[in-house]
This record gives sequence, C-alpha cells and structure tokens, in this order.
Amino acid sequence: MRKEDVLFEKVLFGGKPEQKVIDNIRNHIRILYSACELFKDALLKHDKALMLSITDLEREGDIVRREIVSNIYEGAFLPFLRPSICRFVEIVDEAVDSIEDAAIGYGSYNLNLDKPTEEDCLRIADLNIKICEMLSIAFETLFSKEDLREKSLVIRIYEKKVDEIKFEVLGKLRETEINNFWDGKILSDFISSLTRVSDIIEDASDYLYIVNVSLR
Amino acid sequence: MNVDEIMVRKLETIGSDAPVYDAIEKMVDKRIRSLLVKPKDEKDIPGVVTIRDIVYKVLAKGLDPNKIRIGEIASKPVVTVNKDMDMTHVINLMTKFNITRVFVSNGKDIAGVVSLMDVLSGALIERAKGGRLV
Repeated sequence: MRKEDVLFEKVLFGGKPEQKVIDNIRNHIRILYSACELFKDALLKHDKALMLSITDLEREGDIVRREIVSNIYEGAFLPFLRPSICRFVEIVDEAVDSIEDAAIGYGSYNLNLDKPTEEDCLRIADLNIKICEMLSIAFETLFSKEDLREKSLVIRIYEKKVDEIKFEVLGKLRETEINNFWDGKILSDFISSLTRVSDIIEDASDYLYIVNVSLR
Repeated sequence: MNVDEIMVRKLETIGSDAPVYDAIEKMVDKRIRSLLVKPKDEKDIPGVVTIRDIVYKVLAKGLDPNKIRIGEIASKPVVTVNKDMDMTHVINLMTKFNITRVFVSNGKDIAGVVSLMDVLSGALIERAKGGRLV
C-alpha cells in the first residue's frame, strides 16, 4: 500500500475515536443479528419467554447507538462523513426496533399462527438472519478494497425474497376469517414488523453505499 | 451452496384437464413463466407447462386456448433434483437439457423449483460471501 493511502486510511478510520465508533457499529450489527437469530429460535420452539428476551437486546442496541452518536458528535470522523454514518446507525437501530415489535406481538399477546403462516414466518426469519449477515459483510467491505455493490445487490435479492413471501402470506391471510378486531390487528402488525426488517436493512445498505462513495 | 438454499417453495399448479386459457390467466396474473401440472391420479406423474409451450404449441398454430387442454401440451416427466444437490450440478443439468428450471423432489412429491434466476441469485450470494461465482 502506498504511503499516501496509509495516511488517508488513518485519517478516515485509523484514529482512536473512529476505531471506537467502528467497533461499536460492529457490535450494533451483531446485536441485530442476535435478535434475528433469537427470533427464529423462539418461533421454532414456540417459546414466548425467549421471544420476549429480544427486548433486552433492543435496550442494549439503544445504549450502543447512543454511544456511537455521541462519539461522532465529539468529533469522530471527518464532518462530511458524520451525517451518513449517524443515519446508518439510526437505521440499524430501526431494524432492531422492528424485530422487537414483532417479538412483542408474538410474546406478549396471544398470537396463534396457523401452520402455513408459521412456516412462512420462519422462512422470513431465516432470510432476516441472512440479510444481517450480508450487512455485516457489506460493512467490513468499507475497510477492504472489495466491491460493495455486490453486497448491496445480495441484500436486495434477499429483500425481494422476503417481499415475495410477504405477499404470499398477506394473500392467504386475506382469505382467513378474523372474528375479533384486535386479533386481526395484532397478526397484521406482527407480519408487517417482521417483514419490515429486510426493508430497513436494505435502506441501511444504501447508506453504507453513500459512505463508500463519500470515501472515494 | 445446495439446492435447498436457493429453491422456491411456492409452486403454482394447474390441473391436466384445465384449458390452456386458465394457464395463460394464471401466468399473466402472477407474472410467472411456468406451471406445475398436477398428476391426474395416483398412477400419473407431474408435468410442466411453460409459456413457451403455450406460444409455440397453441398460439403460433392458431389454436383456441379455450379448447386445448393443458395435458395436451405439457411436458412429462419433469427434470428433478434432490434438495441436497450442489448448485453446480443443477447448472450442468440445465445446460445439458437446455432447460430454464428444474423441480426439487421430496420423495414422490415436488417440494420446489429452481429457475435460472434462482441460480443467478445463489451465485451472487456465494460470491458476496467470498466464494466462487458457482
């Protein structure tokens, strides 16, 4: 690597506050990944208590997000990078919130999914894990010379798969008879929160792309 | 990467006795290019009808899609693979038979389908994870 490149990378990522932010973002993505994994596991085991433990991860995510944002406002990163990094972190946090909403819907209310819907939700939960994994790989791409476009494309592929399942589920649910307004609302909110995770991660990946372009 | 990771589990089906027009409607509504043809009875096997079959075997010949039955134009048997099979093998099969989709068997049943687009998506996922394109 050329001397100028090393200096450039040090200016962008190499300082102590920057490194702290980067480590925390890694941690934040890891929290999102764990929440998605826990969700799938709890859904598979029909374990409502395990499902509700996602709220602990969400709280942990909030703490990490606050720390990242305050580190950035204390001066980490060059000013032109700060808004995009902050927005990226906020979007990742929205994804954690969304998976928490779905978890609360399942764990707190008496939500009973029929077998086909449960199978579809498990498929979505599995894709959510994969999309988180890809977000993490995409984030690491910022520090390597690999192409971020390929990772963003895969995130879009996963998101499209989730969309397809979502429309399938909604189509089936429309034909289901709902006897109680709240049962219907809870089920509908559960499905939208679960399927929104991939939408949000797609947005996060777009912001990563903006950060990547800003670095060129 | 194996077939299980890329296959589409949702299968659109049609009866062998249905008119071709029903298949056209289904394909247009759902924006798909093929339908799995359900076996007539226990002795029968599943088939496939594609948009190509409809255009070449019905429309190009000036036949009325309301009068032709799916069974008359469907292809049987379908090419199937096991869900544990590697994607490279699927690509080889597609190349060898010049087909754009293979069905995934689960015992006697068809559990899913893998199309060219699924193979492409799978290859891109593999590449993004640091693997080879196929």
